[in-house]
Amino acid sequence: MLWQLRAGLILLGGAFRATAQYRANIFSNMAAGAAFQTVGLIGLWVILNRFGEVAGWTMSDVALMYGLRLTAHAAWAVPLNQLMEIEHQVREGLIDRYLVRPVNPLVQLLTGRVRLNVFGDLAAGLILLAVAASRADVDWTPARLAFLVLAILGGGMIEGGFQLGLAAISFRTLGTSEMRFTVDTIFNLYGNYPAKIFSVPGQIALSVLPVAFVAYLPTCALLGRDSGLPLPDWAGYAAPGLGLLIATGGYLFWRSQLRNYQGAGS
Amino acid sequence: MPLIEAKDLVKEFRRVRPKTGAFSTVRTLFSRDFEVTRAVDGVGFAVEAGELVGYLGPNGAGKSTTIKMLTGILTPTSGTVEVAGVVPWRQRERNARNIGVVFGQRSQLWWDLPLRDSFRMIGRLYRVAPARYAQNLDRFVEVLGLASFLDTPVRQLSLGQRMRGDLAAAMLYEPPILYLDEPTVGLDVIAKERIREFVAGLNAEQGTTVLLTTHDMDDVERLCRRLVLIDHGRVLYDGPVAPLKEKYAPHRELVVQLASPAEVVVPNADVVRAEEGRVWLSFDPRTTPAASLIAEVSAKYEVTDLSLVEPDLEGVIRRMYLEREG
Repeated sequence: MLWQLRAGLILLGGAFRATAQYRANIFSNMAAGAAFQTVGLIGLWVILNRFGEVAGWTMSDVALMYGLRLTAHAAWAVPLNQLMEIEHQVREGLIDRYLVRPVNPLVQLLTGRVRLNVFGDLAAGLILLAVAASRADVDWTPARLAFLVLAILGGGMIEGGFQLGLAAISFRTLGTSEMRFTVDTIFNLYGNYPAKIFSVPGQIALSVLPVAFVAYLPTCALLGRDSGLPLPDWAGYAAPGLGLLIATGGYLFWRSQLRNYQGAGS
Repeated sequence: MPLIEAKDLVKEFRRVRPKTGAFSTVRTLFSRDFEVTRAVDGVGFAVEAGELVGYLGPNGAGKSTTIKMLTGILTPTSGTVEVAGVVPWRQRERNARNIGVVFGQRSQLWWDLPLRDSFRMIGRLYRVAPARYAQNLDRFVEVLGLASFLDTPVRQLSLGQRMRGDLAAAMLYEPPILYLDEPTVGLDVIAKERIREFVAGLNAEQGTTVLLTTHDMDDVERLCRRLVLIDHGRVLYDGPVAPLKEKYAPHRELVVQLASPAEVVVPNADVVRAEEGRVWLSFDPRTTPAASLIAEVSAKYEVTDLSLVEPDLEGVIRRMYLEREG
């Protein structure tokens, strides 16, 4: 495990130096990332300013949840963003070389390139979260802060676990980018609003999927609000555990699918 | 105990059989009708430490698929492989430290990094002690002539330079086993010779066990003492080079240049080709000694020049493949 981390850092160093060869690209990517997040934040600000309150949630409540969700999203997108390369690498047989090196192939895939725009996501999430947390009606005890951190990691693992599992299907040389995009869109669209605003079938779908566990339920737990979902009150506190479970499942599935890798050519 | 041992190795590839006719694309999408191709069909062989074995076969014979199973890239459908006591696809990371891999068609180096940087990363990933690393690098830079492009990004290297870089990268951590998959493909004569010299040196001096696939028979003649020939996923021949030549090419050729064109008729030899006074005679050296044939031809015709042609491996292999097809 420690070795994988060290090897990952060695590889990441190489990826960083490789990226640095294309300087113009770095700056344009960072600018694009920043622009994208700015547009997203302006969109949220407009909605909250216009309505003031959604399903009994005030602007600062929703901002806390949005910040939690954005940070959780960044928590998986920063380490796992290279999953988007998987289809290309499987089809071109580029996975071959990962399999003959003394490092876990997933570590090698994830450290293959540095993508700076995801750090834009992380920065935006953290800033929003910090502002919202200071304004929200929460007494920030060390326990609550610790739970916030766990919730971010858990949310990231819920989304990341799904993304990893879906990416693993690519080893059967199937296209999965559409599926991954769809799942990400579902989490993006429905994860950013209090699940209470949806009808009962929608609420059930979000609990099962489990979009509601990424940010909504942990936020309810922090705010001491009733989630309004057909779930017990402690469900919000279970979210980090669920994240660990889904991430583990995603990784085990990834490992089992790697056996199906067929390479390219004869 | 052999260093590399493969037994009853089978690899099947499954893909959906494409449909034809109306809505063929949609029907293919939902089809459960699979087409199974057996790329490797019961291959078995053992390689002892220190051997240099040529693994040959026509395109699509299953060479690369076998190599990919030996290196741990592919998981076989059935059969077993053990390389230095490790099952490659189960313990990939342990296996990786025992083997060097060079694929002629695909570089193992970091595309956007200078060659030197790729080497440094390999050294760290394989945990080569710094003193040892510096020593090995110096040696490879000298033997493979890497000095002039050590600081050039890999994407800007010529094919010959890149291959030399790949070879050095595969041997920096001194693995006991080296797999070479078409290492000389697309290279010029000088680059080929340089790579052959390097491989021969590794085998002779360090005792590196080498498994080589190639379509270049000069590689084989120059390097290999033993051949494993496969076709349609099965082993056709496994043994030394010389008996193979005797079995498939028992005949020698005598080429004579006549002073003036003439119809050549001599007992115990057949004319296989004739053009502008030059005649190719095929004979069996076991029944007709070359000296007596030369004497006979010289007595009957006015010969200005002559030469004896040994059968080359390429001709032998061609004949084997043809026999197999027919």
